[in-house]
Amino acid sequence: MEFLELLNKIFLKDGGWLTILNGLWVTVQISALSLLLGTLFGALLCFLRVGNFKPLKVAAQIYISIIRGSPVLMLLMLLFYGVFARTGISPLLVAVITFSMHTGAHVAELLRSALMALDKGQVEAARTLGFSKFQAFKLVTLPQLVKIAKPVYQSTVVNLIQWTSVVGYVTITDLTRVINNIASRTMQPMITITGGMIIYLAISYLVYGIFNLTERRRKVSA
Amino acid sequence: MKFKKIAKILLSCVMAGALFAGCGGGDKPAPKADDANKTGGKIQLGMIAHLNATEQKMDEIFAQIEESEKVPLTKYTVKFYDSLNLMQMGIESGSVDEISVYDSVAKYIVANNEKYEFVNDKELKVFNDNFCFAVRKDDAQLKADLDKAIEEMKADGSLDKLVKEYITDVDKDKVPPAVELPMTEGAQSIKVGVTGDLPPLDYVNADGKPAGFNTALLAEVAKRSGKNIEIVDIDSGARAAALSSGKIDVIFWAIVPNGDKMPRDIDKPEGVELTTPYFKDDVEHLKLKK
Repeated sequence: MEFLELLNKIFLKDGGWLTILNGLWVTVQISALSLLLGTLFGALLCFLRVGNFKPLKVAAQIYISIIRGSPVLMLLMLLFYGVFARTGISPLLVAVITFSMHTGAHVAELLRSALMALDKGQVEAARTLGFSKFQAFKLVTLPQLVKIAKPVYQSTVVNLIQWTSVVGYVTITDLTRVINNIASRTMQPMITITGGMIIYLAISYLVYGIFNLTERRRKVSA
Repeated sequence: MKFKKIAKILLSCVMAGALFAGCGGGDKPAPKADDANKTGGKIQLGMIAHLNATEQKMDEIFAQIEESEKVPLTKYTVKFYDSLNLMQMGIESGSVDEISVYDSVAKYIVANNEKYEFVNDKELKVFNDNFCFAVRKDDAQLKADLDKAIEEMKADGSLDKLVKEYITDVDKDKVPPAVELPMTEGAQSIKVGVTGDLPPLDYVNADGKPAGFNTALLAEVAKRSGKNIEIVDIDSGARAAALSSGKIDVIFWAIVPNGDKMPRDIDKPEGVELTTPYFKDDVEHLKLKK
């Protein structure tokens, strides 16, 4: 029972679990907000990237390649300690901006690859049948786009949650930071970090579960 | 199909379990003596990476000290870790044989984790380092204020009292509570970065509040200098960036050698000033119990 006592000391005693929950909440907040903003931003980027207006197209292309080709921690440090250093905006906001920028680039690329997988002829056929541009997009392109992009999007979501584990560098106390603090205080890094990993794993599986649920519902309705 | 899935998950759990048990190294008789022989009798030693000094520079300094002090430092092969946590994982997984920590920290580790014991090496006693605050160079006023507060505390013995209360006389199971920092309306406020990485000097309590000797010291400094002190929890890797960008004004436990064996400024980053030391500690080595 010594091991259980140890677990109790590490994860539960003196409100330790509350601190862990607080850290988890911060991680969830950052992830959820960044996902929302990042997806919207990514859709916009993708729109520019496949559009016909040359300067914006090139700009989007450059942006995507820079962001996708560099570690998110560098971007975070650069924004927090460089660009926004004197403005005094909260670290949480900077983190959300950073991860939105990062997720945006990834979402833009995954949407573009899904678009490329679609058959162009279908839209052309719809257009000749008298559908407007918007109708053709809404009724023909979008449903197929969602279906193709979904599995990749799912892993982007899970990746995003894991990327947020670096926010300790910008004075945010997220789940990883809490776990590290506990490991230092209790002098039991192996067990503590394994515990932290299990929590992250649980979140990832929760995300997969939610995606699975929507899949099943669609099958039922179809 | 279902069964296959379950079997797969079980198998991966078992593998993960085996992996972690291996890393724990608790019951595995690691052939450490043989390892030492293989590497030419050298002992693998883990150290916490410095704020600024590079590994090459540290190697040079070690060689110099060995020359002048006749301490056999080159019997160690040093590996640098970013934090105490990682260093502990390093020794528990067997990638180093001994870890080098401060006396107070070593006592804390031994008290909290029964796997560790002291390496009684009297030769190491010649080293002791001083702990001090680090501020930006252009913050001369702040440095002066901090120096003054520390000198005052040294003079009237309250610094020794704090050391006693928070470092030497701490019970294993009774953690001193986090100290409330006094807040004065309208006073100048400074941000101090703590890492939670170096108990009993600097750690974060179970309720998520920074605690330990450093915070107690800060409360005293705040009282004496009439400043409002705001504690910011920050990853130790980002301390220098945070200080130089002005996100925080003071960083803790910048470490300065006593000046007799190592040059005082070996680890001083550019554009940073160090205050009067507030605490002095010896170096100890720890190893895992056989």
